[in-house]
Amino acid sequence: MVGSEQDFERISEKLEKEARADEIEVRIIKNDTALTRYANSQIHQNVGQEDVDVSIRAVFDNKTGAASTNSLELDSLKRCLSKAEKIAKYQEGDPDFKGLPETKEQKIVKENYVKDTAKFTPDQRAQKVKEIIEMASNEGIDRVYGAFQTQVQNLFVANSNGVKKFSRFTSANLTTTAIADWDNDQGFGWSEMCSSNVRDIDHMQVGKTAVEKGLNNLNTKKIDLGEYDVVLEPLAVQSILMYMDMMGFSAKKVQEERSFMKGKFGEQIMDEQVNIYDDVSDPDMIGYPFDYEGVPKEKVEIIKDGVANEVVYDSYTAGREEDKESTGHALPMPSPMSPLAMNLLMDTGEYSQEEMIEETDKGILVTRFNYCRPVHPVKGILTGLTRDGTWLIEDGEIKHPLKNLRFTQNLLEAFNNIEGIGKERKLFPMGFYPAYFAAPALKINDFNFTGTTEF
Amino acid sequence: MRDLVEFGIDELEKKDIQYGDFRLSEIDMEVINVKNGTVEAIKSSESKGYGIRVIDGGWGFASSADLTEQGIKNTIKRARKIARASSKASEPIELKEVEIHQDSYTTPYKKDPFEIDLEEKLEYLLDVDEGMDIDEKIKVRKCNFNAWKTKKFFASTEGARIEQDLIKTGGGLSVNVSDGEDTQTRSYPNSFGGDYNSRGYEFFENLELLEHAEETAQEGVNLLDAEQCPEGEMDIILNTNQLALQVHESCGHPTELDRALGTEASYAGTSFMTPDKLNDLRYGSDLVNLVSDPTAVGGLGTFGYDDEGVKAKKVELIKDGMFVGYQASREGAAKVGTEVSGSMRADGWKNLPLVRMTNINLEPGDWSKKEIIEETDKGIIFDGIKSWSIDDKRLNFQFGTEAGYLVEDGEITDLIKNPTYTGITYEFWRNCDAIAGKEDWILHGVPNCGKGEPPQTMQVGHGCAPSRFRDIRVGVGKW
Repeated sequence: MVGSEQDFERISEKLEKEARADEIEVRIIKNDTALTRYANSQIHQNVGQEDVDVSIRAVFDNKTGAASTNSLELDSLKRCLSKAEKIAKYQEGDPDFKGLPETKEQKIVKENYVKDTAKFTPDQRAQKVKEIIEMASNEGIDRVYGAFQTQVQNLFVANSNGVKKFSRFTSANLTTTAIADWDNDQGFGWSEMCSSNVRDIDHMQVGKTAVEKGLNNLNTKKIDLGEYDVVLEPLAVQSILMYMDMMGFSAKKVQEERSFMKGKFGEQIMDEQVNIYDDVSDPDMIGYPFDYEGVPKEKVEIIKDGVANEVVYDSYTAGREEDKESTGHALPMPSPMSPLAMNLLMDTGEYSQEEMIEETDKGILVTRFNYCRPVHPVKGILTGLTRDGTWLIEDGEIKHPLKNLRFTQNLLEAFNNIEGIGKERKLFPMGFYPAYFAAPALKINDFNFTGTTEF
Repeated sequence: MRDLVEFGIDELEKKDIQYGDFRLSEIDMEVINVKNGTVEAIKSSESKGYGIRVIDGGWGFASSADLTEQGIKNTIKRARKIARASSKASEPIELKEVEIHQDSYTTPYKKDPFEIDLEEKLEYLLDVDEGMDIDEKIKVRKCNFNAWKTKKFFASTEGARIEQDLIKTGGGLSVNVSDGEDTQTRSYPNSFGGDYNSRGYEFFENLELLEHAEETAQEGVNLLDAEQCPEGEMDIILNTNQLALQVHESCGHPTELDRALGTEASYAGTSFMTPDKLNDLRYGSDLVNLVSDPTAVGGLGTFGYDDEGVKAKKVELIKDGMFVGYQASREGAAKVGTEVSGSMRADGWKNLPLVRMTNINLEPGDWSKKEIIEETDKGIIFDGIKSWSIDDKRLNFQFGTEAGYLVEDGEITDLIKNPTYTGITYEFWRNCDAIAGKEDWILHGVPNCGKGEPPQTMQVGHGCAPSRFRDIRVGVGKW
């Protein structure tokens, strides 16, 4: 399969010549995904996928049409272009659409492409998984689960205004769940590691952390519902950041009065220790240096010292406001979800996780959350459950494991009740789109638990 | 296309492998989104490629869009290499024997949605949009049309040869309203893009979006001034759009055998409905009968054959309240000794087939919706999905809907906002004491069920009629 930058340039040049539209955009995404899944200490799925998507946006005045194909044959591409142009012509026009982006200086030059990750073989993945399984077995756990994924992602964007961008990056992600069985009881433990470089994935550390948590999670007890101080590990914080992002950090949500940031700019909406920003150039972050319209990504300081500061824009939402430019956060257009912060980081603090636990009289330690969903997006209310390791903290020590709990919590209130921020942060993938979040651990007071489950 | 499939399966048959299958698909999609009087998106896409599964010491799967003979050979080589790597940590794999078919299947439909003029669809949606434009508190008006057409070939080294042509259509409308203090959403016929069926354009026409535009928008506005959902325990009645989701989350997912066997443990989660509970767990009241039925006419999860070549059939999951069956693949069924349900499906050609819901339906009862309301002293009717969350064994759930209607002394009294309810799955279904009959039974489509790694999205169906559940906790959280 063709798939180099030069191949993509040739395709876009041919399409630009063929086009009758006033403007056209050619976006090519090529992904190679390899993933080994294991369950019950056996490899049960092992896949290799390669695909390419060519999307064309055709513009006549302020009318746009889009079509896509996964064929790189010239006939298919021409048909795709013709379809996009036909679709555009049917429309009545959108006065808010101000045209495709113009070229803009690319200040952030970044390519997180690591050959070792790109060339990682099924044998190598299987060997690492086998070593985790053997280590767990030696510790008395015969049920480990997880996935080891490596990916190469390529993005090419060109438009008739002169934009021409290509970037690629690699990612490797390993997850492990360990389930300890003892006397008709089960203990759950989890760990995850993500990096652009597969050599950075310490698979034995991931496995050991999950196993240790699983073994320490046996004999869970119920706890009365109510408000507790919580120590949230980085993955639990990542879940919250992801939903804050989707509920509030987009210019579209603000413009449509669907964001908790609406009407709050300049106001202190979170504790002054909180700094949340989108910045692909951060050394902890991986991703493309430009968005799906080819606009260079800028650092956007969304929450600055706890103050609602700014949100992310694509060219469409920027065009709706006076003197506003895209911050480089478009999704593949057209998209009802765009724009979206896809490289979100939260500033670290001074505490180790151990110190947070030591300074807690009575609280709950949470490994991660499961199935979070907004209850009222504009009020910032989220619900979800703890998963894979929850413990009661008493007098600065972990007392015993707890059955999983449901929270229903206003996130702005929670981020106003932050007592401490972890001094390290970890990188996690979002799960859909190539979006990544780097989050520290947090200690939050008065977190509201509204339900419990049976395990 | 057929030639490529035959070439692929010939190549697989030449190899010394335990099993192989070759699945080639061509998928066309059309999306039209109208928002606030303008077209937010019209998108047309086409995708063609194939996926190859082999058992060669372990499982291997590779997919590609390279439709040349050399591309197919390379992909087979890749799949075998992956399979042999799997064998480092894999037990012997057994597939339960099934009838091998050479057959074809086509979705019954009247009007091909791709043959309807784009301008006609667009004009209709713009009319719907205008119909919702009734109040300045309405900040966002949205309506949409979606259609999918899939041509799919399946061949296996066991001799299966199956060709299917599937068509799916749907759409919906919604408003976001705000008065500066509060924000609410109201949708029709369901949230998150409406409703979908395996039918032609006639299904979209029958949704009658235009006829429902104004009343839906008005109720959205009314929600701003509605009372907050009360807290406490009371009887609840779920309308079909919400009950479909309840079925999806609390019966559909936990009866997937792969989840019950742990293969989703690190991602989507497991299930409290483990094999030791089969035929032993009282899941619901005697009234509760739930089935997996990919033969249901019009269901979004309806097809002729699954992606293992198993013929579509109706399978009982819950019978008279007892847990009696799983949605199972050939491999899972062999492990547990249960029936193969014909539920293996992949998202497009690129992904590996997984156990996926087909149409998970709650069989109709003897009541009418009217009777259920009339015989409820105090309760809330929940309508329109808004928020859904459930634990990773599918026990503790909490759902919120767009609107609630207070029922007092057998009559609907007030509209209430931000309604939520919560419970434990089997306790909830055991408290089901009334299910409406066929006349109120609707087969809804859910187009976005997520599962698997890499993540896959599946289109599934849920048929149900309004039902009542006694003594349920409502009004969760601080407002």
